[in-house]
Amino acid sequence: MLNLLERLAKQVAGGTSSRSGDSVLSRRSLLLAGFSSLAAMRPSATQAAPQPSANRFLVNRLTFGWTEEEQLLADTLGYHGYLEHHLNPEAIPDNACDSLISSYLRLNWNPYNLHSVQPQVTVHQVTESTIVRAVYSKRQLLERMVEFWTDHFNVDINKSHIPWLFPLWLRLAIRQHALGTFPQLLAATAQSQVMMFYLDNVISNGTSPNENYSRELMELHTMDVGGGYTQEDVEEVARCFTGWTVHYGYGSGSTWEFLYRPEWHDNGPKVVLGTQIPAGGGFNDGLTVLDILAHHPSTARFISRKLCQRFWDYNPSETLVDAVTTTYMNTGGDIKAMLRTLFTTENPSTAAPKFKRPFHLFASTMRATKTQINPQPFFTGSALRNLYSSAGHHPFYHSPPDGYPDRLDAWSGLLLPRWNFSAILANNGIADTSINLAAFLDGASTSAAVADRIDQRLFGGRMPASEKALLLNYLGAGSPTEGIIRDAIGLAASAPSYQWY
Amino acid sequence: MSRCDGLGCREYMELSRRQFLGATGAGIIAAGVPAWLPRVALASEFCAARDVIVSIFLRGAVDGLTMCVPYLESAYYAARPTLNIPQPDSGSPFAAIDLNGFFGIPPYMAPLLPAYQNGDLLFVHACGSTDTTRSHFDAMKVMEYANPNDPVIFSGWLGRHLMTSAPMVPGSILRAIGLNFGLQRTLHGAPDSLPIPKPNDFNLQGNAATRPARRSALTNLYQQTDDPLKTSAITTQATIDLLATINFNGYQSQGNTAYPNSPFGQSLKSSAALIRAEIGVEAIQVDIGGWDHHIEMGAREGILATKLTDLAAGLAAFHADMFAGNGKNVTVVVVSEFGRRIEENGNKGTDHGHGNAMIVLGNHIAGGRVLTNWPGLQPEQLFEGRDLQTTIDYRDILAEIIQHRLANSNLTTVFPNFSPTFRGVTEACASPRGDMNCDGAISINDVPGFSQAILDEDAFRAANASCDPLNADLNGDGEIDGRDIQEFTRRLLDQ
Repeated sequence: MLNLLERLAKQVAGGTSSRSGDSVLSRRSLLLAGFSSLAAMRPSATQAAPQPSANRFLVNRLTFGWTEEEQLLADTLGYHGYLEHHLNPEAIPDNACDSLISSYLRLNWNPYNLHSVQPQVTVHQVTESTIVRAVYSKRQLLERMVEFWTDHFNVDINKSHIPWLFPLWLRLAIRQHALGTFPQLLAATAQSQVMMFYLDNVISNGTSPNENYSRELMELHTMDVGGGYTQEDVEEVARCFTGWTVHYGYGSGSTWEFLYRPEWHDNGPKVVLGTQIPAGGGFNDGLTVLDILAHHPSTARFISRKLCQRFWDYNPSETLVDAVTTTYMNTGGDIKAMLRTLFTTENPSTAAPKFKRPFHLFASTMRATKTQINPQPFFTGSALRNLYSSAGHHPFYHSPPDGYPDRLDAWSGLLLPRWNFSAILANNGIADTSINLAAFLDGASTSAAVADRIDQRLFGGRMPASEKALLLNYLGAGSPTEGIIRDAIGLAASAPSYQWY
Repeated sequence: MSRCDGLGCREYMELSRRQFLGATGAGIIAAGVPAWLPRVALASEFCAARDVIVSIFLRGAVDGLTMCVPYLESAYYAARPTLNIPQPDSGSPFAAIDLNGFFGIPPYMAPLLPAYQNGDLLFVHACGSTDTTRSHFDAMKVMEYANPNDPVIFSGWLGRHLMTSAPMVPGSILRAIGLNFGLQRTLHGAPDSLPIPKPNDFNLQGNAATRPARRSALTNLYQQTDDPLKTSAITTQATIDLLATINFNGYQSQGNTAYPNSPFGQSLKSSAALIRAEIGVEAIQVDIGGWDHHIEMGAREGILATKLTDLAAGLAAFHADMFAGNGKNVTVVVVSEFGRRIEENGNKGTDHGHGNAMIVLGNHIAGGRVLTNWPGLQPEQLFEGRDLQTTIDYRDILAEIIQHRLANSNLTTVFPNFSPTFRGVTEACASPRGDMNCDGAISINDVPGFSQAILDEDAFRAANASCDPLNADLNGDGEIDGRDIQEFTRRLLDQ
């Protein structure tokens, strides 16, 4: 019922609205109101402006924040061309970002070496490089997919041996398959030493099968909680994965690589989701389960719906979810193909705005202001990371296996850390980050020109007039001081309309 | 006199309607009040002094069989060869402390004994949600929304309590706080509520010299829009000033037990400071995560023992502080999404189970006992052959507290599709409404106090330090005025 009303209301808003900022606002409100008067959503005739373009929408959805450069690229390549551009990140030169990332040496270490050193620097390198990539990488869709999958296959970086080994998780399980196929991604996560430690499979053996990984594998990674498995399936799947562990506990001889220990495996027959798995399957039992799960219709639908919710609309239409699910089933879970379907099935003007989670908001502000981050690969913490913690969104710090939520209600109450981030950032108050104001202003000096520049850099010239008027008011008459201009940039990034994408 | 002129009251009305309708954070204002929205009213048998509620969620499924040990069950020891708490007379250094001849608590939870012996601490066992899921996330949702089978209303039980009750302090800016980065589902729908991870650190940062100007600009940016964030933003601005009046860091417990330095201990200390400050916060949601111990659970010593030690120490400190001397009326409830499997697994851990134990703490709670309809732990007595049954629905416990201690009788709204059974969790009221001299009854002797409270509330307060002027709010509209006279007269004549 709720969904129906929203769809209906959206059609009304989308079909008659010709406003820009305000129609976005209307759809945003509708998204949140469980129930509303449709009449209230009709735009007034006094505010006519073009709809936000589809290209602009796509820039917002594929990246960690709109920039002038990305808009130019999208306008040059066109909607489909720009989508294809980002679907093929390997073809996008990314030298500037690669150069920054290259200082985080531990991202590429092997497990043995990672486990030979104190982990604080490793954790710092992993998290700071993730922030840097979100801000600077030109392969923005890849970075957004990395974020999506690290949420989906959540791992708490602070548990057990994971602080030492996390770079392997990010590099070999997530990044390598972020735009590959879901079955390959799933298999990589299942055979990662990090996942073994996180969900306790590391000590699961024939006499003591552990259900933790088994349950979350079906509930969170593949089928969804209502996907059709039972407690018996949980117990049977746990048996299938007995012996999947890590080479550790051998003193200095431990390699910390994934390891299958046949002597720990329960080699009896099993039944998983109605499929007989004969005795003697050994390591293949686990692979068989992964195959069953990866090709299960519940999995196709769950992954498709989650993708639609992340990239299109908190409440995607069943039509859209159906289309992406069909692509999953037809292509064997090809992630690029699913994204292609996702972005080309419905009219972008029907998608309601999404709320920027803190990580996204911070990245978008730094991108729009061309913030310079000086990598500190040998630190064990930083002022920048602390601000992510203050907002409750430090990369990889979510401890339960469900991942940071992508629901509005999980984030919309805590605005203060968002306002504080933009104020401190704009004032160059974060160690090792800075905004070059002269470059940002590019000659603008009067209040009106400065307001225009902020509008252009952060909003692409579409800052709502009411917000811009307040910005001008803050800047005052004549030529504002540097301090006031920096405040104004912080305020602009704190404005209601900048919180959405 | 009207107390609804301020921001708080208007926001309250607006929000309660809007959020009740299913918004997940805010939304546009509904065209009219739907007929089915229940009247905001106090329960008729409501005790004069309403409690502040502190709701604690142990996320990840705490092991209730360690938290409250059924030490006379041989099946418990058979199923838990390494993860048991030995019997009280076993001579073991890990031996349970007896509570009632059948149940005990592990020795590291001994700090809770004073509260238990004082009758303020209640354990409820074989208690929890009757939903059969073993998924943490599904179970938490079910428990927090407390609203099965309704796909439309996304609000928590505590949120619905607040939306159907008048503010405890009329005009309150902030009625509920989630000590968390996001508002917990338990509080969803609550009017005038915010997630505040650290109440002692809730300030606008950046250039100090321009802070007032920037605050003003931010207020204007959000005030002028119909953005769904508007309500959060306005409440945030007001809350900055509100919390600035409280010295959290210098807060001194009035009890003789220090708060642990753990995040949980500090959350309870902040809660105490908020309650003592009497700024109108009447519901606080606290979370403790990390109870999901599939390996090396450590019931005697180890991870679970450490966490339960922290829980007990925090609750004990809070009890000592809140109920000492000039005590406050507070009820604490501790829940978890489900219990753990009775039989330990081969990794010295436990997997997901079903029935669990719950803790209630309060100075009007009928404690000092273990409330249970114990189903037993023999194979045929188990849920799905594996787990402790749930024989007391956690909503029974919460509903009684909401009606008797939080003065809200809209239980069909707070717990839809559920008829609670009151199980004597709360003590009888000491002071019903209309009792203006707090002698426990309504009589002709209450007339002077009633008149004074209506005509000059401050004078009443000055003359009756320990008797709440809100006893005169007979019609339960949150205001003390002439509209209370009719009901007062009726009750007087009924006596």
